[in-house]
Amino acid sequence: MTRRRPARSRFSRPQWAISIAAALAAIGFVGAAQWNSSLARQEFVTSAQRVLITQAEQQQLEQERLRDEIEEAETRVRSFQQRDEGSATALERLNQELAAARLSTGLAPVHGPGLVLEIADSQREVPVGESATNYIVLVDDLRDIVTALWASGAEAISVSGGLTEGPPAERLVASTSIYGAGSAILVNDVPLSPPYRIEAIGSDGLRDRFLANQGFLTRVERRIDVYSLQFASEARDDLTLPGFIGNTRLRWGAPLPEAE
Amino acid sequence: MAARIAQLSLSAVAVIIGVLLVGQLRSQARPIELSTLSAQELSTLVETLSARNVELGDGLADLREQIRDYERAELQGQSALELSEEDLQRIAAFGGLAAVEGQGILMQIEGSFDPIAVNDLIHELRNAGAEAIAVDNVRITARSVAAFGTGAIEIDGVPISRAFEIRAIGSPDGLHAAIERPGGILTLLQQSIDAVFVVEERTNLLVPGTQRDLAPQVARPVE
Repeated sequence: MTRRRPARSRFSRPQWAISIAAALAAIGFVGAAQWNSSLARQEFVTSAQRVLITQAEQQQLEQERLRDEIEEAETRVRSFQQRDEGSATALERLNQELAAARLSTGLAPVHGPGLVLEIADSQREVPVGESATNYIVLVDDLRDIVTALWASGAEAISVSGGLTEGPPAERLVASTSIYGAGSAILVNDVPLSPPYRIEAIGSDGLRDRFLANQGFLTRVERRIDVYSLQFASEARDDLTLPGFIGNTRLRWGAPLPEAE
Repeated sequence: MAARIAQLSLSAVAVIIGVLLVGQLRSQARPIELSTLSAQELSTLVETLSARNVELGDGLADLREQIRDYERAELQGQSALELSEEDLQRIAAFGGLAAVEGQGILMQIEGSFDPIAVNDLIHELRNAGAEAIAVDNVRITARSVAAFGTGAIEIDGVPISRAFEIRAIGSPDGLHAAIERPGGILTLLQQSIDAVFVVEERTNLLVPGTQRDLAPQVARPVE
Protein backbone atom coordinates (compact mmCIF):
# COMPACT_ATOMS: atom_id res chain seq x y z
CA MET A 1 0.00 0.00 0.00
CA THR A 2 1.51 3.17 -1.02
CA ARG A 3 1.01 6.21 1.02
CA ARG A 4 -0.26 9.01 -1.04
CA ARG A 5 1.37 12.31 -0.39
CA PRO A 6 -1.06 15.15 -0.15
CA ALA A 7 -1.08 17.27 -3.21
CA ARG A 8 1.11 20.25 -2.63
CA SER A 9 -0.67 23.48 -3.13
CA ARG A 10 0.87 25.46 -5.85
CA PHE A 11 0.75 28.45 -3.57
CA SER A 12 2.50 26.77 -0.61
CA ARG A 13 6.05 27.86 -1.45
CA PRO A 14 5.14 31.43 -2.30
CA GLN A 15 3.10 31.72 0.95
CA TRP A 16 5.99 30.97 3.30
CA ALA A 17 8.34 32.79 1.07
CA ILE A 18 6.09 35.86 1.37
CA SER A 19 6.00 35.45 5.17
CA ILE A 20 9.78 35.32 5.30
CA ALA A 21 10.04 38.30 2.98
CA ALA A 22 7.62 40.27 5.17
CA ALA A 23 9.52 39.30 8.31
CA LEU A 24 12.83 40.28 6.71
CA ALA A 25 11.30 43.60 5.76
CA ALA A 26 10.25 44.08 9.40
CA ILE A 27 13.79 43.24 10.54
CA GLY A 28 15.14 45.73 8.05
CA PHE A 29 12.79 48.42 9.31
CA VAL A 30 13.44 47.83 13.01
CA GLY A 31 17.17 47.38 12.40
CA ALA A 32 17.32 50.65 10.49
CA ALA A 33 15.44 52.45 13.27
CA GLN A 34 17.80 50.97 15.84
CA TRP A 35 20.85 51.91 13.78
CA ASN A 36 19.59 55.44 13.22
CA SER A 37 18.83 56.02 16.89
CA SER A 38 22.28 54.69 17.79
CA LEU A 39 23.90 57.01 15.30
CA ALA A 40 21.90 59.96 16.53
CA ARG A 41 23.11 59.40 20.06
CA GLN A 42 26.71 58.72 19.13
CA GLU A 43 28.71 61.71 20.30
CA PHE A 44 32.29 62.66 20.18
CA VAL A 45 33.71 61.68 23.56
CA THR A 46 37.00 63.14 24.62
CA SER A 47 39.41 61.29 26.88
CA ALA A 48 38.64 63.79 29.68
CA GLN A 49 34.93 62.99 29.30
CA ARG A 50 35.70 59.27 29.37
CA VAL A 51 37.48 59.70 32.69
CA LEU A 52 34.52 61.68 34.07
CA ILE A 53 32.03 59.10 32.78
CA THR A 54 33.94 56.36 34.60
CA GLN A 55 33.96 58.48 37.77
CA ALA A 56 30.21 59.15 37.49
CA GLU A 57 29.50 55.44 37.06
CA GLN A 58 31.67 54.58 40.06
CA GLN A 59 29.91 57.20 42.18
CA GLN A 60 26.52 55.79 41.18
CA LEU A 61 27.61 52.29 42.21
CA GLU A 62 28.96 53.64 45.49
CA GLN A 63 25.66 55.45 46.10
CA GLU A 64 23.69 52.23 45.58
CA ARG A 65 25.96 50.39 48.03
CA LEU A 66 25.66 53.11 50.68
CA ARG A 67 21.87 53.27 50.35
CA ASP A 68 21.59 49.50 50.73
CA GLU A 69 23.72 49.62 53.87
CA ILE A 70 21.73 52.54 55.30
CA GLU A 71 18.47 50.66 54.71
CA GLU A 72 19.88 47.63 56.50
CA ALA A 73 21.18 49.74 59.43
CA GLU A 74 17.83 51.57 59.77
CA THR A 75 16.08 48.21 60.00
CA ARG A 76 18.49 47.16 62.80
CA VAL A 77 17.88 50.42 64.69
CA ARG A 78 14.11 49.90 64.47
CA SER A 79 14.43 46.35 65.76
CA PHE A 80 16.46 47.58 68.78
CA GLN A 81 13.86 50.26 69.46
CA GLN A 82 11.02 47.76 69.45
CA ARG A 83 12.63 45.30 71.88
CA ASP A 84 14.09 47.79 74.32
CA GLU A 85 14.24 46.70 77.96
CA GLY A 86 12.84 49.93 79.41
CA SER A 87 9.43 50.63 80.87
CA ALA A 88 6.78 48.99 78.70
CA THR A 89 4.52 52.05 78.80
CA ALA A 90 7.28 54.50 77.98
CA LEU A 91 8.54 52.19 75.24
CA GLU A 92 5.12 51.82 73.70
CA ARG A 93 4.53 55.58 73.75
CA LEU A 94 7.93 56.30 72.24
CA ASN A 95 7.56 53.68 69.52
CA GLN A 96 4.17 55.11 68.61
CA GLU A 97 5.70 58.57 68.37
CA LEU A 98 8.59 57.25 66.27
CA ALA A 99 6.19 55.44 63.92
CA ALA A 100 4.02 58.55 63.59
CA ALA A 101 7.06 60.77 62.92
CA ARG A 102 8.38 58.36 60.27
CA LEU A 103 4.94 58.26 58.65
CA SER A 104 4.53 62.06 58.62
CA THR A 105 7.99 62.77 57.26
CA GLY A 106 8.14 60.22 54.42
CA LEU A 107 10.51 57.74 56.05
CA ALA A 108 7.93 54.94 56.22
CA PRO A 109 6.48 53.10 53.21
CA VAL A 110 2.78 53.86 52.74
CA HIS A 111 -0.17 52.69 50.69
CA GLY A 112 -3.49 54.19 49.71
CA PRO A 113 -5.56 55.54 46.83
CA GLY A 114 -4.03 57.97 44.42
CA LEU A 115 -2.72 58.70 41.01
CA VAL A 116 -0.01 57.49 38.62
CA LEU A 117 1.48 59.87 36.07
CA GLU A 118 3.99 59.17 33.35
CA ILE A 119 5.88 61.71 31.32
CA ALA A 120 8.40 60.79 28.61
CA ASP A 121 10.40 62.36 25.81
CA SER A 122 8.72 63.26 22.56
CA GLN A 123 8.75 60.63 19.83
CA ARG A 124 8.72 63.32 17.16
CA GLU A 125 11.75 63.81 14.98
CA VAL A 126 13.56 67.00 15.96
CA PRO A 127 13.17 69.50 13.09
CA VAL A 128 16.39 70.79 11.59
CA GLY A 129 17.59 73.89 13.38
CA GLU A 130 15.61 73.20 16.56
CA SER A 131 17.16 72.25 19.88
CA ALA A 132 16.76 68.56 20.75
CA THR A 133 16.48 69.66 24.39
CA ASN A 134 12.97 70.95 23.70
CA TYR A 135 11.84 67.41 22.95
CA ILE A 136 12.99 65.75 26.15
CA VAL A 137 11.58 65.92 29.68
CA LEU A 138 13.31 68.68 31.61
CA VAL A 139 13.77 69.20 35.32
CA ASP A 140 11.19 72.02 35.41
CA ASP A 141 8.56 69.66 33.97
CA LEU A 142 9.04 67.24 36.87
CA ARG A 143 9.17 70.03 39.46
CA ASP A 144 5.95 71.62 38.16
CA ILE A 145 4.12 68.28 38.21
CA VAL A 146 5.30 67.57 41.75
CA THR A 147 4.36 71.08 42.93
CA ALA A 148 0.90 70.74 41.37
CA LEU A 149 0.44 67.38 43.09
CA TRP A 150 1.32 68.76 46.53
CA ALA A 151 -0.93 71.76 45.88
CA SER A 152 -3.74 69.34 44.96
CA GLY A 153 -3.55 67.60 48.32
CA ALA A 154 -1.15 64.71 47.73
CA GLU A 155 0.03 63.21 51.01
CA ALA A 156 2.95 61.19 49.65
CA ILE A 157 4.79 61.24 46.32
CA SER A 158 7.48 59.10 44.73
CA VAL A 159 9.33 59.46 41.43
CA SER A 160 10.99 56.68 39.47
CA GLY A 161 12.61 56.47 36.07
CA GLY A 162 13.10 53.96 33.26
CA LEU A 163 10.86 51.20 31.98
CA THR A 164 11.52 48.23 34.22
CA GLU A 165 15.12 48.41 35.35
CA GLY A 166 16.90 51.24 37.10
CA PRO A 167 16.99 52.49 40.64
CA PRO A 168 13.93 52.11 42.90
CA ALA A 169 11.39 54.91 43.28
CA GLU A 170 12.55 57.97 45.24
CA ARG A 171 10.19 59.13 47.98
CA LEU A 172 9.96 62.91 48.21
CA VAL A 173 10.79 64.40 51.62
CA ALA A 174 11.43 67.90 53.04
CA SER A 175 15.02 68.00 51.79
CA THR A 176 14.36 66.44 48.37
CA SER A 177 16.18 68.05 45.47
CA ILE A 178 15.02 67.69 41.88
CA TYR A 179 18.03 68.74 39.91
CA GLY A 180 19.13 68.76 36.28
CA ALA A 181 22.63 68.03 35.00
CA GLY A 182 22.47 68.34 31.22
CA SER A 183 19.75 65.98 30.06
CA ALA A 184 19.99 63.91 33.26
CA ILE A 185 17.51 64.49 36.10
CA LEU A 186 18.53 63.68 39.66
CA VAL A 187 15.90 63.17 42.36
CA ASN A 188 17.34 62.98 45.88
CA ASP A 189 20.66 63.07 43.97
CA VAL A 190 19.83 59.76 42.28
CA PRO A 191 20.11 59.95 38.47
CA LEU A 192 16.85 58.84 36.83
CA SER A 193 16.03 58.28 33.18
CA PRO A 194 12.75 58.68 31.28
CA PRO A 195 9.98 57.70 31.13
CA TYR A 196 9.43 59.28 34.55
CA ARG A 197 6.70 57.76 36.68
CA ILE A 198 5.23 59.85 39.47
CA GLU A 199 3.00 58.15 41.99
CA ALA A 200 0.99 60.12 44.52
CA ILE A 201 -1.32 59.10 47.32
CA GLY A 202 -4.20 61.41 48.20
CA SER A 203 -7.90 61.52 48.91
CA ASP A 204 -10.61 60.84 46.31
CA GLY A 205 -10.49 63.14 43.31
CA LEU A 206 -6.74 63.76 43.45
CA ARG A 207 -6.41 63.26 39.67
CA ASP A 208 -9.22 65.73 38.91
CA ARG A 209 -7.82 68.31 41.32
CA PHE A 210 -4.35 67.87 39.82
CA LEU A 211 -5.51 68.28 36.22
CA ALA A 212 -7.55 71.34 37.20
CA ASN A 213 -4.55 72.94 38.92
CA GLN A 214 -3.60 75.10 35.96
CA GLY A 215 -1.59 77.58 37.97
CA PHE A 216 1.34 75.16 38.28
CA LEU A 217 0.90 73.21 35.03
CA THR A 218 1.03 76.03 32.46
CA ARG A 219 4.72 75.53 31.59
CA VAL A 220 4.62 71.75 31.29
CA GLU A 221 1.27 71.69 29.48
CA ARG A 222 2.63 74.03 26.86
CA ARG A 223 5.66 71.79 26.32
CA ILE A 224 3.43 68.71 26.08
CA ASP A 225 1.33 70.46 23.41
CA VAL A 226 4.11 72.08 21.42
CA TYR A 227 6.77 69.35 21.53
CA SER A 228 4.53 66.29 21.95
CA LEU A 229 6.08 65.10 25.19
CA GLN A 230 4.27 61.90 26.13
CA PHE A 231 2.00 62.25 29.14
CA ALA A 232 -0.57 59.98 30.76
CA SER A 233 -2.35 59.86 34.10
CA GLU A 234 -4.54 57.30 35.81
CA ALA A 235 -6.34 57.19 39.15
CA ARG A 236 -5.62 54.07 41.23
CA ASP A 237 -7.46 52.50 44.16
CA ASP A 238 -4.32 51.40 45.95
CA LEU A 239 -0.69 52.37 45.45
CA THR A 240 2.31 51.47 47.56
CA LEU A 241 5.13 54.01 47.91
CA PRO A 242 8.53 53.22 49.46
CA GLY A 243 9.97 55.13 52.40
CA PHE A 244 12.86 57.52 51.86
CA ILE A 245 16.27 55.86 51.99
CA GLY A 246 19.16 58.20 52.65
CA ASN A 247 20.81 60.42 55.14
CA THR A 248 18.47 61.97 57.68
CA ARG A 249 21.22 63.44 59.90
CA LEU A 250 21.53 67.21 59.92
CA ARG A 251 25.08 68.34 59.29
CA TRP A 252 24.72 72.09 59.65
CA GLY A 253 22.00 72.29 62.26
CA ALA A 254 20.65 70.51 65.29
CA PRO A 255 17.18 69.91 66.66
CA LEU A 256 16.21 72.65 69.07
CA PRO A 257 15.05 71.07 72.33
CA GLU A 258 11.38 71.76 72.97
CA ALA A 259 10.74 74.43 75.60
CA GLU A 260 9.45 72.83 78.79
CA MET B 1 10.63 19.11 4.42
CA ALA B 2 9.95 22.51 2.93
CA ALA B 3 7.35 23.16 5.61
CA ARG B 4 9.91 22.33 8.36
CA ILE B 5 12.45 24.72 6.78
CA ALA B 6 9.77 27.36 6.59
CA GLN B 7 8.90 26.88 10.29
CA LEU B 8 12.54 27.05 11.35
CA SER B 9 13.17 30.11 9.21
CA LEU B 10 10.12 31.88 10.59
CA SER B 11 11.16 31.01 14.17
CA ALA B 12 14.65 32.38 13.56
CA VAL B 13 13.23 35.53 12.03
CA ALA B 14 10.81 35.97 14.94
CA VAL B 15 13.69 35.69 17.42
CA ILE B 16 15.71 38.33 15.54
CA ILE B 17 12.68 40.65 15.38
CA GLY B 18 12.14 40.16 19.11
CA VAL B 19 15.74 41.03 19.93
CA LEU B 20 15.65 44.12 17.73
CA LEU B 21 12.31 45.28 19.13
CA VAL B 22 13.56 44.98 22.71
CA GLY B 23 16.66 46.95 21.75
CA GLN B 24 14.53 49.62 20.10
CA LEU B 25 12.15 49.79 23.09
CA ARG B 26 15.08 50.22 25.47
CA SER B 27 16.58 52.94 23.34
CA GLN B 28 13.24 54.80 23.56
CA ALA B 29 13.65 54.65 27.34
CA ARG B 30 16.65 57.00 27.03
CA PRO B 31 18.92 55.74 29.76
CA ILE B 32 21.05 58.52 31.14
CA GLU B 33 23.51 58.90 28.34
CA LEU B 34 26.59 60.04 30.13
CA SER B 35 28.42 60.23 26.82
CA THR B 36 26.08 62.99 25.63
CA LEU B 37 26.84 65.22 28.62
CA SER B 38 29.49 67.90 28.24
CA ALA B 39 32.66 67.76 30.33
CA GLN B 40 31.25 70.57 32.50
CA GLU B 41 27.94 68.75 33.03
CA LEU B 42 29.77 65.52 33.81
CA SER B 43 31.99 67.35 36.23
CA THR B 44 28.92 68.80 38.01
CA LEU B 45 27.32 65.35 38.09
CA VAL B 46 30.43 63.72 39.56
CA GLU B 47 30.72 66.53 42.12
CA THR B 48 27.03 66.18 43.10
CA LEU B 49 27.22 62.40 43.38
CA SER B 50 30.48 62.57 45.29
CA ALA B 51 29.10 65.13 47.80
CA ARG B 52 25.97 63.00 48.20
CA ASN B 53 28.10 59.91 48.87
CA VAL B 54 30.07 61.76 51.55
CA GLU B 55 26.78 62.68 53.25
CA LEU B 56 25.48 59.12 52.91
CA GLY B 57 28.75 57.80 54.33
CA ASP B 58 28.49 60.19 57.31
CA GLY B 59 24.88 59.17 57.86
CA LEU B 60 25.84 55.49 57.74
CA ALA B 61 28.65 56.05 60.24
CA ASP B 62 26.17 57.75 62.62
CA LEU B 63 23.73 54.88 62.21
CA ARG B 64 26.45 52.35 63.00
CA GLU B 65 27.38 54.34 66.09
CA GLN B 66 23.72 54.32 67.09
CA ILE B 67 23.58 50.54 66.63
CA ARG B 68 26.72 50.14 68.80
CA ASP B 69 25.07 52.27 71.51
CA TYR B 70 21.96 50.07 71.40
CA GLU B 71 24.14 46.94 71.56
CA ARG B 72 26.05 48.29 74.58
CA ALA B 73 22.81 49.19 76.37
CA GLU B 74 21.39 45.75 75.60
CA LEU B 75 24.54 43.96 76.86
CA GLN B 76 24.42 45.95 80.09
CA GLY B 77 20.72 45.24 80.48
CA GLN B 78 19.95 48.96 80.37
CA SER B 79 17.12 50.78 78.69
CA ALA B 80 17.96 52.68 75.54
CA LEU B 81 14.91 54.91 75.65
CA GLU B 82 17.17 57.95 75.69
CA LEU B 83 18.72 56.87 72.40
CA SER B 84 15.28 56.40 70.89
CA GLU B 85 14.25 59.86 72.14
CA GLU B 86 17.26 61.30 70.30
CA ASP B 87 16.24 59.41 67.19
CA LEU B 88 12.75 60.87 67.45
CA GLN B 89 14.18 64.41 67.71
CA ARG B 90 16.41 63.78 64.70
CA ILE B 91 13.50 62.53 62.56
CA ALA B 92 11.29 65.43 63.68
CA ALA B 93 14.00 67.96 62.80
CA PHE B 94 14.69 66.32 59.44
CA GLY B 95 11.04 66.25 58.39
CA GLY B 96 10.11 69.72 59.63
CA LEU B 97 8.12 68.68 62.70
CA ALA B 98 10.62 70.27 65.11
CA ALA B 99 12.62 73.50 65.18
CA VAL B 100 16.26 73.48 64.05
CA GLU B 101 19.09 75.85 64.86
CA GLY B 102 22.37 76.12 63.02
CA GLN B 103 24.40 77.82 60.31
CA GLY B 104 23.10 78.97 56.98
CA ILE B 105 21.90 81.97 55.05
CA LEU B 106 19.31 84.64 55.62
CA MET B 107 17.65 86.10 52.53
CA GLN B 108 15.73 89.35 52.79
CA ILE B 109 13.53 89.76 49.77
CA GLU B 110 11.13 92.41 48.55
CA GLY B 111 9.32 92.34 45.25
CA SER B 112 6.32 91.39 43.19
CA PHE B 113 6.65 87.61 43.37
CA ASP B 114 4.30 85.02 41.97
CA PRO B 115 3.95 81.55 43.59
CA ILE B 116 6.04 79.85 40.88
CA ALA B 117 8.98 82.16 41.62
CA VAL B 118 8.75 81.44 45.36
CA ASN B 119 8.58 77.70 44.69
CA ASP B 120 11.55 77.92 42.30
CA LEU B 121 13.55 79.68 45.02
CA ILE B 122 12.69 76.96 47.55
CA HIS B 123 13.63 74.22 45.03
CA GLU B 124 16.94 75.93 44.40
CA LEU B 125 17.75 76.06 48.11
CA ARG B 126 16.97 72.34 48.42
CA ASN B 127 19.20 71.64 45.41
CA ALA B 128 21.98 73.61 47.09
CA GLY B 129 21.75 71.30 50.11
CA ALA B 130 19.56 73.23 52.54
CA GLU B 131 18.66 71.00 55.49
CA ALA B 132 15.83 73.15 56.86
CA ILE B 133 14.05 76.13 55.30
CA ALA B 134 11.54 78.66 56.58
CA VAL B 135 9.77 81.41 54.67
CA ASP B 136 9.05 84.03 57.32
CA ASN B 137 7.89 81.76 60.13
CA VAL B 138 6.53 78.97 57.97
CA ARG B 139 8.68 75.83 58.00
CA ILE B 140 8.94 74.29 54.56
CA THR B 141 8.07 70.59 54.63
CA ALA B 142 7.87 68.17 51.71
CA ARG B 143 4.23 69.18 51.22
CA SER B 144 4.64 72.97 51.49
CA VAL B 145 3.82 74.87 48.31
CA ALA B 146 3.46 78.59 47.66
CA ALA B 147 0.07 79.24 46.04
CA PHE B 148 -2.30 82.13 45.46
CA GLY B 149 -4.58 82.47 48.45
CA THR B 150 -7.17 85.11 49.10
CA GLY B 151 -5.37 88.24 48.02
CA ALA B 152 -1.82 87.11 48.69
CA ILE B 153 0.63 84.29 48.18
CA GLU B 154 0.18 81.70 50.91
CA ILE B 155 2.33 78.84 52.14
CA ASP B 156 0.54 76.24 54.22
CA GLY B 157 -2.33 78.71 54.55
CA VAL B 158 -0.14 81.54 55.90
CA PRO B 159 -0.01 84.73 53.79
CA ILE B 160 3.42 85.95 52.66
CA SER B 161 3.78 89.69 52.28
CA ARG B 162 5.63 91.60 49.54
CA ALA B 163 8.68 91.78 51.80
CA PHE B 164 9.67 88.46 53.30
CA GLU B 165 12.59 86.50 54.73
CA ILE B 166 13.92 83.08 53.91
CA ARG B 167 16.12 81.27 56.42
CA ALA B 168 17.95 78.21 55.17
CA ILE B 169 20.15 75.98 57.30
CA GLY B 170 23.05 74.40 55.47
CA SER B 171 26.59 75.20 54.40
CA PRO B 172 26.65 79.04 54.47
CA ASP B 173 29.27 79.19 51.69
CA GLY B 174 27.63 76.52 49.59
CA LEU B 175 24.12 77.99 49.84
CA HIS B 176 25.33 81.53 49.21
CA ALA B 177 27.41 80.54 46.20
CA ALA B 178 24.61 78.43 44.69
CA ILE B 179 22.01 81.18 45.05
CA GLU B 180 24.21 83.98 43.69
CA ARG B 181 26.09 82.06 41.01
CA PRO B 182 26.12 83.67 37.56
CA GLY B 183 23.09 82.43 35.65
CA GLY B 184 21.62 81.08 38.88
CA ILE B 185 18.21 81.56 40.43
CA LEU B 186 18.74 85.17 41.57
CA THR B 187 19.94 86.22 38.12
CA LEU B 188 16.91 84.53 36.53
CA LEU B 189 14.46 86.05 39.00
CA GLN B 190 15.97 89.52 38.67
CA GLN B 191 15.41 89.31 34.91
CA SER B 192 11.71 88.51 35.26
CA ILE B 193 10.67 90.11 38.56
CA ASP B 194 11.11 93.54 40.04
CA ALA B 195 12.71 92.44 43.30
CA VAL B 196 15.53 93.22 45.72
CA PHE B 197 17.51 90.44 47.38
CA VAL B 198 19.93 90.73 50.29
CA VAL B 199 21.73 87.48 51.14
CA GLU B 200 23.79 87.11 54.33
CA GLU B 201 25.65 84.18 55.79
CA ARG B 202 24.73 83.51 59.41
CA THR B 203 26.25 81.29 62.08
CA ASN B 204 23.16 81.12 64.22
CA LEU B 205 19.81 80.77 62.56
CA LEU B 206 16.58 79.42 63.95
CA VAL B 207 14.07 77.64 61.75
CA PRO B 208 10.78 76.80 63.49
CA GLY B 209 8.91 73.52 63.29
CA THR B 210 5.82 73.38 61.12
CA GLN B 211 2.43 74.36 62.52
CA ARG B 212 0.78 72.10 59.97
CA ASP B 213 -0.46 68.65 60.89
CA LEU B 214 1.54 66.35 58.61
CA ALA B 215 -0.21 63.14 59.68
CA PRO B 216 -1.63 61.62 56.49
CA GLN B 217 -5.40 61.20 56.26
CA VAL B 218 -5.61 58.47 53.62
CA ALA B 219 -2.06 57.10 53.33
CA ARG B 220 -1.57 54.12 55.63
CA PRO B 221 1.71 52.58 56.78
CA VAL B 222 2.70 49.38 55.04
CA GLU B 223 2.66 46.64 57.69
